[in-house]
Amino acid sequence: MKNLKLTKGLVALSTAALIAAFTVAVPTVARAADDCQETTILSGIKVVDIEKCTGTDMNKSKYEIIMPAKFNGTLMVYSHGIRYNVNLPAIPVVAPKGSLINYAPEVAPSEEVAAALLAQGFALGGAGVQNQGWNLEESVEAALQVITIARDKYPKVSKVVAWGNSLGGLAAQALAEQMPGAVDAVAPMCIADSAQSEITYAGDFLWGMKQFFNPAIKGTNYSAGQAGYVEMLTDLGTVLTTFGALSAAITADPVTPQWPATSTVPAALKAIPVRSAILLLGLMSGVPTQSKTYDASTGPVGPLETSFGLAISPALAVLENGAQAAVLAVIANYDMELRYGGVVFDNSKTDYAKRLGDDSDIFVAALTGKTATAGMLGYLSPLNPAAPRVTANAAAVAKMNSVYQLQGKIEVPTIQLAATADHIAPAGAAQYLKNQYEASVDGNISKSGKLLTIWNKPADEYTTFSAAGSPVTPTGVTNGTEHCNYTTSQILAIAKLAASAAKTGKIPSTTAVKAAIKNEPNLFINPNFSAPLLKFRQ
Amino acid sequence: MIRNKSMKRASLTSAVIAAGAMVLTTLPAQAATPGVTANEIKLGISSPTSGSAGTAYGKIPGAMKAYFSYINANGGVNGRKITLISRDDRYFPVLAATQTTKLVLDDGVFALVGALGTATHTKAYKAAALAQENVPDLFVNTGFSGFGDTTKYPTTFTVLPSYAMEAKIMSKFIKENFAGQAVALIAQDDEFGIDGVNGFKAGALTIASTTLYPQSTLTDARAKNLLTGLGALPGKPVLVMMGTTDVTATILKAAESLDLVSKFTWIAGSVGGDANTLVGGFKVKASTINGMLAASFFPDAKDKKDEYVSQFMKINAKYNKGVSFDNVVLQGMNSAMLTVQALRAAGKNLTREGLISAIEAKGSKFAGAGLVPLNYSTSSRVGYNGYWFGQLNAAGELKPFGGKLSIFTTDSGSGAIQPSEFKRPTMPKNGIPTNS
Repeated sequence: MKNLKLTKGLVALSTAALIAAFTVAVPTVARAADDCQETTILSGIKVVDIEKCTGTDMNKSKYEIIMPAKFNGTLMVYSHGIRYNVNLPAIPVVAPKGSLINYAPEVAPSEEVAAALLAQGFALGGAGVQNQGWNLEESVEAALQVITIARDKYPKVSKVVAWGNSLGGLAAQALAEQMPGAVDAVAPMCIADSAQSEITYAGDFLWGMKQFFNPAIKGTNYSAGQAGYVEMLTDLGTVLTTFGALSAAITADPVTPQWPATSTVPAALKAIPVRSAILLLGLMSGVPTQSKTYDASTGPVGPLETSFGLAISPALAVLENGAQAAVLAVIANYDMELRYGGVVFDNSKTDYAKRLGDDSDIFVAALTGKTATAGMLGYLSPLNPAAPRVTANAAAVAKMNSVYQLQGKIEVPTIQLAATADHIAPAGAAQYLKNQYEASVDGNISKSGKLLTIWNKPADEYTTFSAAGSPVTPTGVTNGTEHCNYTTSQILAIAKLAASAAKTGKIPSTTAVKAAIKNEPNLFINPNFSAPLLKFRQ
Repeated sequence: MIRNKSMKRASLTSAVIAAGAMVLTTLPAQAATPGVTANEIKLGISSPTSGSAGTAYGKIPGAMKAYFSYINANGGVNGRKITLISRDDRYFPVLAATQTTKLVLDDGVFALVGALGTATHTKAYKAAALAQENVPDLFVNTGFSGFGDTTKYPTTFTVLPSYAMEAKIMSKFIKENFAGQAVALIAQDDEFGIDGVNGFKAGALTIASTTLYPQSTLTDARAKNLLTGLGALPGKPVLVMMGTTDVTATILKAAESLDLVSKFTWIAGSVGGDANTLVGGFKVKASTINGMLAASFFPDAKDKKDEYVSQFMKINAKYNKGVSFDNVVLQGMNSAMLTVQALRAAGKNLTREGLISAIEAKGSKFAGAGLVPLNYSTSSRVGYNGYWFGQLNAAGELKPFGGKLSIFTTDSGSGAIQPSEFKRPTMPKNGIPTNS
């Protein structure tokens, strides 16, 4: 479950939700009584005395608040990322041992981070939202209730930092924008973009997979009830099987891999190495061309060095990233269709050639040339009846978009962390917040100097090769790639900067920030750095 | 009254303080131009210096550094020494984006010079936000006509004639000198080759066989297969190769292997026709290139009588020790000399805007080794705009075809192909520009 923190987008607090949120901020009678226990935790070799309180808020979200004996006055309220909204049987990659819907509260991205923060005197709080899936509104409410309960129980709380991962990062930001008085600083990490941006990102890729590689993929328009659940599970299996076939083909012949047997594209397209088709889908959807294993900047020493780095590595990166993007699309489409009452993915008017843009020149070698690119785009054209487009349910889309959308109205110091090769919540989501904030400043809505973006990028070159010249999949994760893949020290650096900002009301100075991340070679700040927006935003 | 005076004094004092505050708050806005100090101008280049592309084009940064060292040893530009920071992108777009971003954001260069490659630089230009930061992007080594689009690339100046220009002029050359011979084209299936194909169409050249290959896919086996097929064309077909030097070498070596060298009249495009690199770097036989035709806008890099070549050779010998002088070195040094003139033309108060304006206003008059005009203006960001055709001998010297240097100019569109009477500016004394 944690492997796939499907992040997405945004839903936001409607006026009714705001009223509800403020309603819960006043009385506390509606919630179940706290269960508090004094105990200890270990942070390294340090024993930390804490009081841990758990309970259920008025919306039946479980919460947890941990107060260290040596409290420094700052409470950090964490919002978790997206979790599956359904129970899953054992499914390789997705849920190898099966999983039940997880309602457990989370107070930090990891136990190690939590212990370290508690050892430094921070109080921690977080909820396990009562309604999983794409639950932005509920997540915002749950965080607000945690703040209210904590302040009520611990009047010594003087500052509050709202932070979160992925959808939780979006929730933290949405909370701060709508109720800036509730928090003193915000730290969204691997922030998700809106529901529509994210479903477009993942949905485009999944739709392309269906057209190119396996028409058995349903992708959207799942049936109601048990039948829809079965369709979703079946789709997960189909997607994973298709990726397995693609991987096998590339393993057998990375230069000219064959299309999977399930593909029904014309023979002319099948003459193109299937890696180029995978890359095309990635580029038109916005899937990063750097992944855990592949940096698109290295080749094995020898005659294949240039051609591998130029033509093969970017495609393999998309394949590695795309597997999770496609799984995300299946589960997210299923969830959102249930939530909003109909199909929300729509590519009925999408111009994929335009989406591809300059990438058709930049990756022309990897796409097997202009002629091949034109052929593949032609197959995906709306004029091709063999590749039917998807039209969304307008009412469902309207409902999806009726909730709060980020405005960039930032009033309290906000420090966000985003990876340049995040394949679930692409870096463009953080860039969008940055752009929105700059527009808000230009419009004299927000004051300048309230947002700092810290970027997390992989090393320039990190793909390694065996003596035979084959790429080696790293045993660990590659920092700067994958979703919310930050190290403990990186997260702690962000948390402490946010806590400092909460106290002063200001973003720490550039000197202070650089000092805080000086031992983090994969983190950098530069106001002039810009990540590409998600395709939906372009 | 007293009160009023006090108030006036207070107001005056406030005004002075406010004015002072304004000055103080204004100062940061007038922060020094990135990459420029009283003593230094920092420039950057992202290009391949390793891998197979590095073999073909890796000498460019070193040649530029050598020329800048020479200028620095002679006082620099308006008292400032030039530092060129070179980053290796291996011809990979993603790495080029990383390296260019680092040049701008981490190294803090004033301008980029001599970036190489269409795919790489397209990616890098956007990733490093060169337009938003108004970073001058000088003398890019690509003939892709798209970089002439000032809306998309408002800070870019290319130096090579476009591939379309080359193909148009080549069309005229072939029609006039090889009428009746079948023509075959082998070109990259990308903007390089497509620019060329469009140029041949504009030049109204009939092509019997066109082969477009995706970059990095023209293997030895494919080249042999291709040549075997083309060998069936009657007579002595003209075989035009519009690709990078490594591909030219692959094709020529395949012809050697198949004993088909004499079957064709070989024409190499300017990007892939450097004899020194073909023979020295990729081990093509000297006898194979003997007689091969090549387009160029430069003098032959082996022509010691040419004043530019001669001067650059001297600089290369002293400041680029151990590196053989060839077309690539000539290209690098020439771009460096254009850069020095651009910096001089921009004046002592160096700004990014000023540099761009200076090239637009004065760039067409810069001294350079090119035998064709420079085309910079407020409406053109494309540098050289013409070609001449020569024939290589076994020593790798490119001699004017037919014994007479015939230069033609044109544009990337439907403009006429015209003979040029262009008189190249004299080499500045000792190779040190004094323009303003």
